[in-house]
Amino acid sequence: MDAGNNETKKELQAMGNDYLWDGSGEPDPEIQKLEALLGRFQYNRPRPVFPEIVPAKRWRFFLPHMRPLPALAAVAAVAAVAAVVFLMNGRKPNRSPGWDVSAMEGTPRVGAKAISGKEGSGRLGVGQTLETDLQARARLRADEIGQIEVEPGTRLRLLDMGLGLKRIALDRGTIHTFIWAPPGQFVVDTPSAEAVDLGCAYTLQVDNSGAGLVRTSLGWVGFKLKGRESFIPAGAACVTRPGVGPGTPYFEDASSEFRSALTRFDFQDSTSEQRGKDLAIVLAHCRQRDALTLWHLLARVDEPQRAIVYNYLAKFIPPPSGVTQTGILRLDQRMLDRWWNDLGFDDISVWRYWERSWAGAAPQASAK
Amino acid sequence: MNRDSLLMSSGSEHGFGLLAAGLEGQPVREQIAPDLFEETTLVSAARDGDRAAFGRLYDRYARMVHGVLLAKVPLGEVDDLVQDVFVLALRRLSTLREIGSFGAWLAAIARNLAMDYHRRAAPEEQLTADLSENEAEHPMTNGDHEGAAAILEAIRSLPEAYREPLILRLVEGMTGPEIATRTGLTPGSVRVNLHRGMQQLRARLTTS
Repeated sequence: MDAGNNETKKELQAMGNDYLWDGSGEPDPEIQKLEALLGRFQYNRPRPVFPEIVPAKRWRFFLPHMRPLPALAAVAAVAAVAAVVFLMNGRKPNRSPGWDVSAMEGTPRVGAKAISGKEGSGRLGVGQTLETDLQARARLRADEIGQIEVEPGTRLRLLDMGLGLKRIALDRGTIHTFIWAPPGQFVVDTPSAEAVDLGCAYTLQVDNSGAGLVRTSLGWVGFKLKGRESFIPAGAACVTRPGVGPGTPYFEDASSEFRSALTRFDFQDSTSEQRGKDLAIVLAHCRQRDALTLWHLLARVDEPQRAIVYNYLAKFIPPPSGVTQTGILRLDQRMLDRWWNDLGFDDISVWRYWERSWAGAAPQASAK
Repeated sequence: MNRDSLLMSSGSEHGFGLLAAGLEGQPVREQIAPDLFEETTLVSAARDGDRAAFGRLYDRYARMVHGVLLAKVPLGEVDDLVQDVFVLALRRLSTLREIGSFGAWLAAIARNLAMDYHRRAAPEEQLTADLSENEAEHPMTNGDHEGAAAILEAIRSLPEAYREPLILRLVEGMTGPEIATRTGLTPGSVRVNLHRGMQQLRARLTTS
């Protein structure tokens, strides 16, 4: 783990001068050589002649000369025919909204249907449940959303495949997600928080008590239950507990003292004196990188402690212009957001946009 | 759809309002926001039957599609598959629900066609043989040929997450921000994958 974290540190340092990223900075001769050699394969075919495009179908039932009733009758007739066809076929149309399911190991089940063998595949539709026993692993894929690998002992349900928001519920088990849908569109409900994809890849575990753990490998994830929210960038993790919601996120390379004290602070039902002691341990073991944790603590500590956390965070990342101590101490959301944007993670406006658009659109956390 | 209504819808439905909100001090995004605006206009027009608009989308995305395919399919097959991807996209354009996700949708079609290719193709073609077949189209000296073949093979042997960004960067000449915009991935993940992929590529080229 430490080696991996050192790698990440070096990697972040290496990203400073970034010819590889956007061609800026000092050119890297090795990369230039690769570009020259491989650039010969660059695609340069001219634009082909494309066939006529059939315009997207629009609602055309209500032409100006039609009255609503005949139009509704037409709609009803079409629906009746569709229902008959559906009943005669005895199954739903093949490409109803859902995820393609394939077996990676063992025999996963979608509802009562077993999916097995190398060629085994099926479809998880809205309202259906996927379960893996202790020998089974499955892969879910949806072209416009991403891919999910499901570990043994997992139960998940597909709740929604609506326009702009795709939602599953993870009742128990472990999933690894790799999402290419735009940030904020893929949400996983757990019994103790909802996880909102704001980037790319993460692992989410839920145990039988409903407690959860998210570990982000790429991009970042938002964890939310009611008013309590946590943002977990790559390399960080966050625990969530039923009845409490998401704890304070931390980088996984933080010291064990730091993490233990943080867990006690978040979840132990202790006296304010004990909480103060745990907070002191957290602060004593803080590194610059742990500004992530400090920023979250601002909204989770009592007011007298907030000033102390403010000073620690300001020491590592000075508040940007327009962000004042007074504002932070009264938890001014705009100031908190501006400070977050200076911490070097992704832009928090992505999350705020998601909140405005979707928060409250569905249950906050799934009920079994 | 006129420009004003599109502007409104891009702010409310497709999330570009938030891009605009986060532009301050971020020059890359300043370039990307108008680009995305123009793109939604093109996708919208293409859905309404405008072939010229679809052609402009092709100009914009052909290298991305080529790179995605090249990460998975022998070079000799890639050019034809690029055309297939666009023809398929054109046929399915009316089913695209979120016009702001056109790039991610197109990349997904390309990845699926690459998988279909491998399901059909047996036995799998070798990259080196494939390069020989294409020598006439991409003339190279023997040394260059072997070098390019070895490097492409090395990239294609990397974990899947690193192949696409490296090929898009080194073969197609796209920048990291451009890769993120075109594929619908986040800049952070593209950046990390580029760096990790490059580290692994350097290690492989050094040992070989």
